[in-house]
Amino acid sequence: MEKTGAEILLQTLREEGVDVIFGYPGANSLPIHDSLNNSPIRHYLVRHEQAAAHAADGYARATGKVGVCMGTSGPGATNLVTGIATAYMDSTPMVVLTGQVTTELLGSDAFQETDIIGITLPITKHSYLVSDPGEVESTVKQAFEIARSGRPGPVLIDLPRNVMAAKCEQSGVKNIAMPKKRHAGNKKNGEELQRIATYMNRSERPVILIGGGVKLSQACEELAGLIEKGNIPFVSTMMGIGSVYTLNGFNLGFIGTHGNELANRIVHDSDFILTIGARFSDRSTAIVKEFAPLATIAQVDIDPSSIGKVITADISLVCDIREALTKLTPLVERKERSGWLKRIEKERNALGKDRSMKECGPAGAFIRDVQTAMPEKTIAITDVGLNQIWTVRSWEAKTPRGMITPGGLGTMGFGLPAAMGVKIAVPDHGVVVFTGDGGFFMNIQELATISYYNLPVKIVVFNNGHLGMIRQMQDLFYGARFTDIELGDKVDIVAVARGFGIQADKVSVENSGAGIEKMCSADGPFLLEVVVDPDTYVFPIIPPGMSNIDMIGGRQG
Amino acid sequence: MEMRERIIAILVSNKPGVLSRVTGVFGRLGYNIESLCVAETISPEVSRITSITNANSDFIEKVKKQLNRLVDVMDVTELIPGQSAQREMILIGIDLDQKDRTEIVRSIGMFDCKIISMRSNYCIIQVAGSREEVETVINFLRPFGIDKVARTGVLALRYKDRSS
Repeated sequence: MEKTGAEILLQTLREEGVDVIFGYPGANSLPIHDSLNNSPIRHYLVRHEQAAAHAADGYARATGKVGVCMGTSGPGATNLVTGIATAYMDSTPMVVLTGQVTTELLGSDAFQETDIIGITLPITKHSYLVSDPGEVESTVKQAFEIARSGRPGPVLIDLPRNVMAAKCEQSGVKNIAMPKKRHAGNKKNGEELQRIATYMNRSERPVILIGGGVKLSQACEELAGLIEKGNIPFVSTMMGIGSVYTLNGFNLGFIGTHGNELANRIVHDSDFILTIGARFSDRSTAIVKEFAPLATIAQVDIDPSSIGKVITADISLVCDIREALTKLTPLVERKERSGWLKRIEKERNALGKDRSMKECGPAGAFIRDVQTAMPEKTIAITDVGLNQIWTVRSWEAKTPRGMITPGGLGTMGFGLPAAMGVKIAVPDHGVVVFTGDGGFFMNIQELATISYYNLPVKIVVFNNGHLGMIRQMQDLFYGARFTDIELGDKVDIVAVARGFGIQADKVSVENSGAGIEKMCSADGPFLLEVVVDPDTYVFPIIPPGMSNIDMIGGRQG
Repeated sequence: MEMRERIIAILVSNKPGVLSRVTGVFGRLGYNIESLCVAETISPEVSRITSITNANSDFIEKVKKQLNRLVDVMDVTELIPGQSAQREMILIGIDLDQKDRTEIVRSIGMFDCKIISMRSNYCIIQVAGSREEVETVINFLRPFGIDKVARTGVLALRYKDRSS
């Protein structure tokens, strides 16, 4: 039976398990939208393509499945770019579909033509221009395989309109071969595993550093097993938060610029760090030459390019994390480590004295109150800025997917659309997004999408009338010469939300109980504007060019 | 760290757009490509890229890892002088007068060169050899007035591939 390219596309997407596409149609993607009429795949119409990409990203982070977004050619495709880059930096599995002008018009500066493959080369794992309907099936299958295998990431498929409209015999499907890597696999993995175990067993002050890769390889349980067996304290990067949840005092928090002081100090003191699925971003290490000066560093990662990129690993293992942990745990001996654990406890108590700043002040208390009021199974999504740091430090991520944040790219405007994607992905979970007035305005149009589909997303907008984190930097590092950071208080955010058809209320951060109650008990979406003093910052913080133990607002010496 | 020429051989799928992905990696890491040679291998679906970059020793590790992330890259190897044969071919166009003509024809025999076109006022000479040999010929011919030079860039093959 003859099928069009678009029909084969949608059928293959179904076979890959796709149930949702976030998108925005245009002239060159019409054959696909036309075929969606006869497909069980649900298409969510966003109000800007950037939101489609963030929503697909949120969907993927909440489920571990590949998120799918779609835009038309030209501006539709370029609007996706920020969302693709966000997914790329945080290794989110995503397939991006873009409409394209017909093949005979390619390269002619046709209406709404843009070289989206060229534009996205550095921010995609791979990309395809499909030139024959017979190639659609194998291309899509390969794209999904690439998006979710190894270190996951976004893959773009550019789909010219005539290829989508053209018919072909399904029996004549052309197979696009996947190039085969030579020299695949590391023969020495067994030796390296043994070396890691030997170091771990010998070390007096070991720490495990958990990166986002642990969640991506669904190795959280295996890691919890290793931590328990070896009696090993752990820290995480911001992307690794929530990978292992324990109340036994082994969780020291996350490291880096805005991280927990305890985590930063213990890493600095450690003599062995087992790094799992982390890439030592500059936000995690602060200045590299002073990062963990006493420690032997072992690094396990699926991506060879992550190893030794920033920090030289003394032992490295290129391997799927789950596989590595399954083999490593039996080799690791149980140790009492009483001296090390006592020292950590002492440090924890010493740092615990001044809790007011460390617990993110009234904003932190507010976030904890929201978590208490929301159902147990709730996912928190952050935007970027002070709201992000307050949330990642105050929201207790009890499951690996319990908190979602754009760590690598730091994309303002991520929160609101990502929250839509999360809610659509896991409708039985509570979903709350914490955003600031800055990031909220960047994708404010998505209130219309949330309202249209009546998605019960709880939206918290911290409003300090400023770009708070930039204000903090100007205050601390630029002699308090404030410039270009004031957003003002002219906009009635509650009225705006209501105008979009969303219930809303406004409270101050110190006096927010009734507002939280109203938000959490409301049916459907609800926006809570939370007024915050612009002088409320995040402390402690590592200034640029300093090491992880030189935190402003931290303990001295 | 020592700056020197590093030769890298990259096997890639012979498809549109692959070269720009590969060269994009060099550019993003801040390396200039001094010479580049691309052509189909014995299997038509695979192309061999041979490139030269002036770089420190950490370049190889970095560029290898980044190139290996590309789906269309199948293999990346450094070709080390002494362990690989390296050749380059160039075509040299020279404006002639009668006096030069006889001298060029006479002296060209000293080198491993070939005159592949000779007109009354212009000749094209083909030179193939190691980088040094090729440079020697260019330097010798320079006083005769070189009009244009086209170089293939260096090609290299390992003497014996240990992994095969």
